[in-house]
Amino acid sequence: MTGALERTGLDRRLWRGLIAVAALLLVTYPLFFDDLFYQNMIILSLILAIGAVGLNIIMGYAGYISLGQSAFIGLGAYTVGIASTRIGGDPFVWIPLAGVIAALFAALLGVIAMRTRGFAFVIITIAALFILQIVAINWDSLTQGTSGITVPLPTWDISIQNWPFYYTLIALLGASLLLSWWIRRTKIGTGLLAIREDEDKAATVGIDTPVYKIIGFMASAVFLGMAGGVYGYYIAFIDPIAMFDIVISVQIILAVILGGRGTLWGPVLGAATIEPLNELANQEFGGGNSRLLIFGGLLVLTILLLPKGIIPSVRDFLERRAKRGRAALVGGRLGERRALDGKPATATGGTGQNLLEVRGLHKHFEGVRALDGCSFAVEAGTITGLIGPNGSGKTTAFNLIGGTMGADAGEVWFDGERIDRLPPWRRAYAGLGRTFQITRVFTDMTVLENVVAPLRSFSWRQLRAGAVSGEEAARADDLLAFAGMAEYRDERAEALSFGQRKLVELAQVLMLDPKLILLDEPAGGINPTLIARIADMIRELNARGKTFLIVEHNMPLVLGLCDPVLVLASGECICAGAPDEIQRDPQVLDAYLGADFKLEEPVGAP
Amino acid sequence: MTEFIQATAFGLLIGGVYALFASGLTLIFGVMKVINIAHGALLILGAFLAFTLWEQLGIDPLASIVITTPAMFVLGWLIYRTMIGPLRSAPLSSTVLLTFGLALVCEAVMGLAWGNNSRSARPSYFDQSFDLSGIVLPKAQVYASIVAVLVLALLWLFLNRTWTGRAIRAASANVQGAALVGVNIAKVSALTFAVGIATVGAAGSMVSVLYPFLPGSHYIWIARVLSIIVLGGLGSLQGAVIGAMLLGLAEVYTQTYISTAWATAVPYVLIFLVLFFRPQGLMGTRLREDVAV
Repeated sequence: MTGALERTGLDRRLWRGLIAVAALLLVTYPLFFDDLFYQNMIILSLILAIGAVGLNIIMGYAGYISLGQSAFIGLGAYTVGIASTRIGGDPFVWIPLAGVIAALFAALLGVIAMRTRGFAFVIITIAALFILQIVAINWDSLTQGTSGITVPLPTWDISIQNWPFYYTLIALLGASLLLSWWIRRTKIGTGLLAIREDEDKAATVGIDTPVYKIIGFMASAVFLGMAGGVYGYYIAFIDPIAMFDIVISVQIILAVILGGRGTLWGPVLGAATIEPLNELANQEFGGGNSRLLIFGGLLVLTILLLPKGIIPSVRDFLERRAKRGRAALVGGRLGERRALDGKPATATGGTGQNLLEVRGLHKHFEGVRALDGCSFAVEAGTITGLIGPNGSGKTTAFNLIGGTMGADAGEVWFDGERIDRLPPWRRAYAGLGRTFQITRVFTDMTVLENVVAPLRSFSWRQLRAGAVSGEEAARADDLLAFAGMAEYRDERAEALSFGQRKLVELAQVLMLDPKLILLDEPAGGINPTLIARIADMIRELNARGKTFLIVEHNMPLVLGLCDPVLVLASGECICAGAPDEIQRDPQVLDAYLGADFKLEEPVGAP
Repeated sequence: MTEFIQATAFGLLIGGVYALFASGLTLIFGVMKVINIAHGALLILGAFLAFTLWEQLGIDPLASIVITTPAMFVLGWLIYRTMIGPLRSAPLSSTVLLTFGLALVCEAVMGLAWGNNSRSARPSYFDQSFDLSGIVLPKAQVYASIVAVLVLALLWLFLNRTWTGRAIRAASANVQGAALVGVNIAKVSALTFAVGIATVGAAGSMVSVLYPFLPGSHYIWIARVLSIIVLGGLGSLQGAVIGAMLLGLAEVYTQTYISTAWATAVPYVLIFLVLFFRPQGLMGTRLREDVAV
């Protein structure tokens, strides 16, 4: 997001100045003004802002909506309330525990949601909020049910008013912002964005999606849990209805959307806008129904009229104005391609070793047998072609080999290891890379971010690494130069043409340094010059030891590039051999052309 | 044993009403991939309409479906035209949030119009029961379930025996394909949404007799419908019916053998269990956004 935007120096200084002034006002406010009404309003805004900055991590970065964020407020409040009344001690002592409990609960929900996608997460979060409320109501002995827990009032001197609450929350907001900022610029952030853009694709380039989602959700909960602890102590009375309030969830969501999801400061801006409205609803209209009406209505209106939120809309406007009249780079000619550095290219050819073996794969889609006992092998060092009529199961085979889908039966062996039970990212670590028939790049990222997104292994330490390290950037630049896309490195991938995306996707896969590269129709839908370029790239990479398995309908390309060629028909591999053998094989002719097809008699034959 | 049969019969009767309630949601999802979080709130609105008709005009709440159903049809059509239609190409997350906002607005409007007190329509048969050799079945429950099954059967006939119904099923199977063979997707979507909300109106009439309700009751109903689709899978009428029966049974068994207080937790617990152990749903339909290949 920030990478795509080239703000002028003046804009940036202005923006930073604004933030600094706002922060200064916020910090010094209670020292100069003692109006408790406004102090209360700021305290509630801070809680909302902490929630919104957190939610933005899972909703803005990773694209997963949580309708149950107020569950963490309740959990935090109950943790502090129960611990301080049962065990004793100053409630503030228990606030870190509130954060830990909230994060652990988020992890638990993350584990439950691990194997699901999209909407299931919304259901889980909403269910979590209500089930916690039911537990708080029914587990009398711990929570005192609907009668609630009364927390002892603070004992500090009245002259400092609510300062301890106020400054604790400011510290928590600062910490939330730091966490959000840090996540965005590390590998976790890139991984979360990749998940938002295309989760299946992210998994095939080595992103361990469940771990990323769980980390993201925990990060969105931890400080909100602590803020909930402060909140419970602040209002001194903890009951199931007010603590697990879905309207607060709505306010948190609204703050994120209104301010701008995916931005660092948007959620804070949103929270500062919404809390005064909340006060207005409570003071002027008696809360209850009018509070629901205002926030429900505002949610509807924001989604309909300002779906991007304030900050991105303003930024788009400024960007458009700044770019007016400047020719765009995209749509220009392809850049010069450069050979890869390193060891000289020597043709290797087949090595006699099978790198990939597919044994008896079955995949049925209800009645359709996409793969029906399909077996074949790919020899290391070859460029193997995989052809077959439409619907013969080529892409399904790719999906099963890459792990985007699970097979009904059969085995996939790669480099001596059985991989058909492994998730896609583990297959990527083992050295398997793939591209897609309809290219799938992360459109909201820059070309460079796309190329550095793949991960060759998983380690906790790596998560903390910067999103684009110097070494990676250098490697990505090399690969982009190899693809002839160096000039586009800072463009957003959304702006690229289909052919350019193919080149970026290939560079992206090469970042994995895979042993075997599966290409799904590399020549589909692009012009002959580009086809020739891609063929050259494949040959050059093959000469450096990369093995290829290529699905392609462009026969001249397949016959000129691939050896051997495998032929799929009706979900089975019916034939394998050198291109010229394949062309003459009666089974292949039959599969492509039908049983009653006769080769034309040569003209003028007797 | 009698207790078990009693509970099972009761669970299945409740399941019939749940099935009608969930059918609209799954129908809407099938065609436009929208999860209507306002479904529960619209159900309660239907219940309030039926309640008012009964209280003011003395119309039997179960008979009032001939009024609530068309009224909710019109409301559904309006909601589609003003809010859902414009978001047709927006991601799933936008419509989830939009309908969530709509649910809150609906709750607020009901609160302002009818107050936040618990209501319930009480026709003459309200506290009468059928007694079949020891198995007691409340009359209201039996009548409501019969009406629900009738409405579901009509819906099934509409979807399978009319051209409009076929257009809806075609759009549900493949929107682009349906558009190619001449189905007007915008019209079919509006119609589907309206039909979906109309079924909620019918279900609302039944709820007005079966359960005490207030504007805030819609949360438990949205929990129920979500757990039904998690159980039965999204997008098919059969899935909705099976999920509804399972939920009805699970709730009644919990009430009978564990405790009434925890029965409200059943839909949520089912959601967690199913999504963790069988994320593809019990029927095998995947509850996920499939990305086009």
